[in-house]
Amino acid sequence: MRRLLALLLLQAFNVGLVHAKEQLLEVVVSEPYLEMHSGPGRGYPVVYVVGRDELVTVLYSRTEWYKVRAPRGQEGWVRRSDLALTKLASGEPAPIPPYPQFSSHRWEIGAGYGVFNHQNLVTTWGDFGLTDSLDIEFVLQQALGTIDNRYIASIGMRHTFIPEWKWFSPTAGIGTAYQYIDDKVPPKPLQTNNQLAYVSLGARGFITRRFMWRADWRKYVTFTNQNQNEEPEEWKFGLAVFF
Amino acid sequence: MEIRLSSVLLATSLLATALLSGCGWFHRGEKAPAQVVADEPQSEPSIIEPQVNRREVKTPKIKAKDFELGGYFGAISIQDFGTNPIYGVRAAYHVSEDIFLEGFLARSKAGTTSLEDVFPDITVVSDSGRRFTYYDLDVGYNVLPGEIFLGRGHAFNSAVYVTVGLGDVKFADTDQFALNFGVGERLLITDWLAMHMDVRDHVFETDLTGRTKNVHNIEATLGLTVFY
Repeated sequence: MRRLLALLLLQAFNVGLVHAKEQLLEVVVSEPYLEMHSGPGRGYPVVYVVGRDELVTVLYSRTEWYKVRAPRGQEGWVRRSDLALTKLASGEPAPIPPYPQFSSHRWEIGAGYGVFNHQNLVTTWGDFGLTDSLDIEFVLQQALGTIDNRYIASIGMRHTFIPEWKWFSPTAGIGTAYQYIDDKVPPKPLQTNNQLAYVSLGARGFITRRFMWRADWRKYVTFTNQNQNEEPEEWKFGLAVFF
Repeated sequence: MEIRLSSVLLATSLLATALLSGCGWFHRGEKAPAQVVADEPQSEPSIIEPQVNRREVKTPKIKAKDFELGGYFGAISIQDFGTNPIYGVRAAYHVSEDIFLEGFLARSKAGTTSLEDVFPDITVVSDSGRRFTYYDLDVGYNVLPGEIFLGRGHAFNSAVYVTVGLGDVKFADTDQFALNFGVGERLLITDWLAMHMDVRDHVFETDLTGRTKNVHNIEATLGLTVFY
């Protein structure tokens, strides 16, 4: 009895170990054959072909290519669309995750170039979609001018009017920002820290896979402790990846 | 005995079902009274105890290795300030087999200008200002993907790429907006380890030497990155 228990324990442990080490997806080739290329690109030659009903282990992916291992140990790269035609051992289609829908993506991260009040602007942003048409945007940017450099952080809400429009869809937003001015040429600015508020108009569009572009125009109001508030303008264009 | 018992049970359950469905018919849209369910014989132990262990089939996820992280070093020719060593870190995300986005962060230290060499009393830039730091945000395109052969038995995947981007160069204690243009070669030693050879030009406007001009700072670097 004790021996049996020990054996069972060992077996469980063994299975656990194997399970933890190799949790790789295995798929069965259901088309007449599956081509394996020498590299993850359209031009790389086919170096091995796996026949129908053979088992293939999927190791990992890079962009739209999947590195796989054939039953006899050969490794190569399979195109995403080819791998999507394979099946699980149960007969279900292979679980190749689809690319996120552009119209309903949740996360976005990007960077670009702009002009803030006649200064060159480097901009980076992160976006979280609350719904298909409403998202929160976090922006960090650096405006580099001849008189001063500004670091601007902003948070705002953006509305996409028609998210289903893939190639061009207008947007509008409002938000608040904070800027720090680092002067280059004297005299020192009266205030080096300001709060700002903005309204924005823009557009976004799909490029390919997870890739997209965004353009934005913003009108800021800088709250100062002087008699007049400044009203700088900003233009920018950037590229982003969405998830 | 067993057959009889099961037939009795079957009859009871049929009756119960009929009752329940009947109630359901008349009380459509209402909640079925709970006591009908409670009529089922409780004292009798059920004969067939279904022991269905649901097998949880978890299909393993495929790991995506689209990120590339690494470091590089080389030489940068800082215009008017000589050629100096540079080192930095780089991170890339591969969007498709052609396009990638990349970020760079690097540091160097400028030497002396010819003017300072000839007239040692003159200093164009203070000692702390000689530090040359930049960050870049680039978009890259693999223009020439291919293979590199080493002897008869080895082939390495490679790609010649071009990059263009923008960023900030901090030199002479001031930040300047800089554009950069580059060309490089990625050679994959294994599928997860890559060697990079890059030539990039950082262009920015400065008036350090008296008049405002665009300066070109060309760097040649060698790097090593890991895909994960």
